[in-house]
Amino acid sequence: MTPETLFQGANTLALGGWIVLALAPLAPVWADRIAGRAIPLTLSLGYAALILAFWAPAEGGFGTLADVQRLFLTPEVALAGWVHYLAFDLFLGAWALRRACRQGIPHLMMLPVLGLTFLFGPAGFLAFAALSFTWRLRAPTESPA
Amino acid sequence: MTALDLTAPRSGPFDRMLADAPLLTRTGVLILLALVPMLLAMQIDPRLYQNTAIWLKPAKFHLALAVYVLTLAFYARWLPAGFAGRRAVRWFSAYAVFCILAELVWIGGAAAMGTGSHFNVADPVMSALYSVMGLFAVSLTALSLVYGWGILRNRDSGLPPAVHLGLWLGLVLTLPLTLVTAGTMSAAGGHLVGPAGAEGHGLWLMGWNRLAGDLRVAHFFATHAMHAIPLAGLAAAAVLSGRAATRATLAAALAYVALVGFTFWQALQGQPFLPGLG
Repeated sequence: MTPETLFQGANTLALGGWIVLALAPLAPVWADRIAGRAIPLTLSLGYAALILAFWAPAEGGFGTLADVQRLFLTPEVALAGWVHYLAFDLFLGAWALRRACRQGIPHLMMLPVLGLTFLFGPAGFLAFAALSFTWRLRAPTESPA
Repeated sequence: MTALDLTAPRSGPFDRMLADAPLLTRTGVLILLALVPMLLAMQIDPRLYQNTAIWLKPAKFHLALAVYVLTLAFYARWLPAGFAGRRAVRWFSAYAVFCILAELVWIGGAAAMGTGSHFNVADPVMSALYSVMGLFAVSLTALSLVYGWGILRNRDSGLPPAVHLGLWLGLVLTLPLTLVTAGTMSAAGGHLVGPAGAEGHGLWLMGWNRLAGDLRVAHFFATHAMHAIPLAGLAAAAVLSGRAATRATLAAALAYVALVGFTFWQALQGQPFLPGLG
């Protein structure tokens, strides 16, 4: 399998996970098992295999930005980096959704957060932190929910 | 929801192992889980080392060491009561597990880096590591002797005498037989004895060389004394009774030692094991 085929496969798998998260209210327990566990673990397995096979022979390293850029000149290592994003963004999305559920944040309000996490992981994390914080804000006279 | 009820008492063979030897059982499971990404890496890694896929050796060591610790965990039920809980036994088991994990990290790490683990004396760091790993290999194998000793001392194992004999004798023989065969292989600087260029032609699954002497054959049989001799005891107890069964077990153990000796001698002569196969 070429890195390009694996890339398409990983993207499809991750996209499936995000659709499951978006539709989570239909089956919350299974949505979390699939998008919060099974798919991130599968992607992580692929990541680990790519790193075992291609990291050591690749040029570059973690020391300087130029080294990191050189690392990504090896297609399999660039693919591993991409799979890393896919796995962790989805895991974070599922985590945020679990927290939101516990806090009583409506799913509709979580959809933009999930979209942002899907596209720009850490920005979605920031958005969730902000939403979660504001959701907890209450006047001192209000009784806690 | 009908999820797994983790509080319900369960009792399968695996639960028994987990109860008797939690550290060894968990180590075995962990080693097998770590095999999964390795087998996947083997599918995509084009690198070869001495004409075989670079991940083949670490995968074999994961499998072999998982079999080793899970076998000991299975045998742990026949240790005397309280034996596994003794401070010295607990510490030695923990040390052996540390050695096992260190060996696997060393062998897997060398594969990831595209270099050799055993016999790699080209580089001073790898050469020093190889020496330390030799000590670790002896240490982890010594755990079988500790188990053999414990089971020998158990007068209350509930096993037929022939099975009891086969069990402790197999465990006690594993360390000395392995030390002689694997130690010689280590001192020889490689597993092949014979013409150069005989690499790459191996017996199916085992990879034993078909053209030259291969010291791994004797190492394999030596270390599997802990399986073969207990099985001989089990077979003897099934078909014979009383002293005849224990005598047959003893004879089978002697024959097995002779087999190890023969394969060892054969490899040292530069002769392949069962050249008609593969």
